[in-house]
Amino acid sequence: MRINRMATCGIIAGLLACTQAAQARIKLITLPVRERVEIQLDNPNATLVEEERIVPLVKGENQVDFSWANTQIDAESIVFRVIAPVGEKNLDVKVLSVSYPPNEASLVWSVGSSDSGSARVRISYILGNLGKSFAYRAVASNDETTLTLSQYLRLQNFANEEFGSTGLWAGFGKEFMRPIGLNETKEMLMAKFAQVPVRKTYTCDPQEFGYIDQPQNKLRVPMHYVLKNDKTDNLGAAALPFGKVRIFIEGNGPEKATTFLGEDWGKFTPIDDEMKLYLGVAQDIVVKRTIERNNNTRVAGNLSDQEVIVKYEIENFKDKPVTLDVSENVRAIRNEVRGDTNRDVQWELGKETTFEGGPDKEKSTFEKLLFHVDLPARGKDGKAEKITQKLHLIIKNEW
Amino acid sequence: MKFYAAIFTLTLFVSASLGFARNVDLSTVPARDSVQLTIYNSEDLTLVRETRKITFKKGQNPLQFSWANTLIDPTSVQMKFLTNADKLEVLDTTFPHDKPQMLYWNVQSDIDGEATIEITYFTSGISWSADYQLTANKDESKIGLDGFVRITNNSGEEYENAQVRLVVGTINLVEKIAQLAQIPMNQVPQLQDEERAALRYRSLSKAIETDAPMGAASSPEAPAPKQVIKEGLSEYFIYTIEGTETIPNGWSKRLRSLEAHDVPFKIQYRYRPEEYGDQLVRMYLLTNDKDSSLGTTPLPDGTVRVFRDNGHDGLSYLTAQSIKYIPIGDKIELNLGPDPEVIFDLIKLRVSRDNIWMQINGLDVFKKVDDGVGKIEVESTVSGWDAHEIYTQRVRNYSAKPIDIEVRRSFDGHVDFRSSLNPILHDYRTVQFTATVDTGKKSDLLFELVIHNGRNAKQNNVTLQTAEVKP
Repeated sequence: MRINRMATCGIIAGLLACTQAAQARIKLITLPVRERVEIQLDNPNATLVEEERIVPLVKGENQVDFSWANTQIDAESIVFRVIAPVGEKNLDVKVLSVSYPPNEASLVWSVGSSDSGSARVRISYILGNLGKSFAYRAVASNDETTLTLSQYLRLQNFANEEFGSTGLWAGFGKEFMRPIGLNETKEMLMAKFAQVPVRKTYTCDPQEFGYIDQPQNKLRVPMHYVLKNDKTDNLGAAALPFGKVRIFIEGNGPEKATTFLGEDWGKFTPIDDEMKLYLGVAQDIVVKRTIERNNNTRVAGNLSDQEVIVKYEIENFKDKPVTLDVSENVRAIRNEVRGDTNRDVQWELGKETTFEGGPDKEKSTFEKLLFHVDLPARGKDGKAEKITQKLHLIIKNEW
Repeated sequence: MKFYAAIFTLTLFVSASLGFARNVDLSTVPARDSVQLTIYNSEDLTLVRETRKITFKKGQNPLQFSWANTLIDPTSVQMKFLTNADKLEVLDTTFPHDKPQMLYWNVQSDIDGEATIEITYFTSGISWSADYQLTANKDESKIGLDGFVRITNNSGEEYENAQVRLVVGTINLVEKIAQLAQIPMNQVPQLQDEERAALRYRSLSKAIETDAPMGAASSPEAPAPKQVIKEGLSEYFIYTIEGTETIPNGWSKRLRSLEAHDVPFKIQYRYRPEEYGDQLVRMYLLTNDKDSSLGTTPLPDGTVRVFRDNGHDGLSYLTAQSIKYIPIGDKIELNLGPDPEVIFDLIKLRVSRDNIWMQINGLDVFKKVDDGVGKIEVESTVSGWDAHEIYTQRVRNYSAKPIDIEVRRSFDGHVDFRSSLNPILHDYRTVQFTATVDTGKKSDLLFELVIHNGRNAKQNNVTLQTAEVKP
């Protein structure tokens, strides 16, 4: 008869030699406790638990029984390693074989020992329902030029097993030593980055953000905070993992009481890349987009060039000047005026383009163009200056 | 209470003739002296070879061999005499129609005395598999490899103290042993495939339900792990486990078959979308040869689990991957998945079209658009063109070491691949190039595709051209 225990995950070391212990109806067992537990969270898809126990052994062959009722241990992943003998005896301890009983969440190691004594062993296994995620809290300065970014590691233990003081490591950054209870969620501060420059951007992009009022040709203009994950910007220690970012802003008063601005999912951001956080729609910046010109010039037969001018009428009703990012996808423009041909667009900028400095060389690609437009604050009379910009595209060799 | 599903006996009838009494019988049951299991992993097949001692009397001796609730193929049962073979002879073998899973041998003996017989048969339900555990050291310069074999017994029978031999290789069977095990011999050909499968399932289910206590055959004075002796045989490799093993029905047992330390290996980053998906993956590459402290045996199919010393007094779990049979001398390639410290982007920089040909509508007449020879008729259609696409394959390495990358990209149609990347053709449509990217650096690997379309397409392959490509 096998022994059933309440513990969800346990180890039993047989004090009798293996054969006799297995057959005996009366047997004496020891229950070695966990001496140390480490939870390795560095793999994106699996959590590795490593636990050390001191196992008493007799000379010869020993039975070490490991069971994990009601937990999702991946039985195939279990690794048993002898770390060192405990005490002065120089034991030679080896795993001889592993036996798997039918219909049970358990296994039995047969362990050979050169002498009687104790050995420190480490058992590693992949445990399901013990997951991690990341979360961020960003507090922007009142003038929205910098923010303090706090990064949290959140551990969710639905593995139906509790761990005492346990080492936790996410594969980068700080290591933690914490107890983890049943069904517990634990949030730990991994890092706090102060004085991180933040760029506040207003962007219109008909393909990505669409229109806020299509009959009136008004584009939606979302506002973003943009952080750069590099050392210059007091970040760049490691890639920023995917996670929810809650954004607050400091108040004006002496207590600097914070106000919640919004939240967004921060995408996985490698070093040197930007994390763009959407805060909401800026309704004080009005952008009307119209196709002003659409001329077709035949080259030969059904082959032609297309000349397109996209006009933007922009008004800033804010009290301060801002920079608007205007983004356009040339393939989408071609599809808009000619239909989708499934071919890439061969294009060049026409002379009537008015955006100062042309497209942003670093952030534009062959298909997506990004322009920056400086907008003055509205006048003292409350009226906004209407600024008109044009994108002149020559689309070549279409049919 | 112990319950064995299998009733597996060899019975010697104390009777002078084959006219068996229906209701009153007397028999002796000779025990097994030795048993050897040869387990094939490519098929659900195990060859059982057992010996028993039997005392014969002069004249005819009926022997009954039965295997109720086991998964033996009745067509495979054979007996031979290991001693006194010249004085003993099997006159006939009978498979009774009303008693499935049973046969009778009618043995003619010229002696009054003992003989050792060997009975061999195939059974299903015993299987073995291999698995491996690799642990890289902290700086990923060397790796330790442990190989294991795991034997699982769901045959319905407990073979005590059996010598276990494992066959590495693929054999051919025309009918599954588990199907043949379930019905009398003469009914096998009449079964439909579905019926055979159902029988096999039912039988296996019964076998798995059976509980049994744990048993271990080793003596308490033997603390060393058992050796697994490996030898080649024809197209196969045989692993023989030292000593004997007892694996109760329903149990499985895992033993170390291979151990290698300080195995050298290489790390390479690969982009091969057809093999690894649309991502750059990190690979561990090692070779199953003597220079790598391996190469003593082919590595059978199995799951490899890869760990690394994480430098924090623990292990990092990297991946689990199935490998196919790896012959001695062949490579072991382990895909660890994408590395968040290496960023891999393909950026299209520019597109243009030239060499455009028009076909005059309704005629077999073609004119090139930009050759300056007069005006091309309005009634014409584009019939051929070359598309030029310029790309950069951008790699950013934020890891602590320089990295070697290998990129394979496949292109359909008639394509010229222009670059100064020293590429090679992996196949007629797949270009392969390599590069090294230092730690903390960005590398832009530029190339241009010239894709010949319509009537310009004369081939369906890629041609490599050396050219400096500018962004």
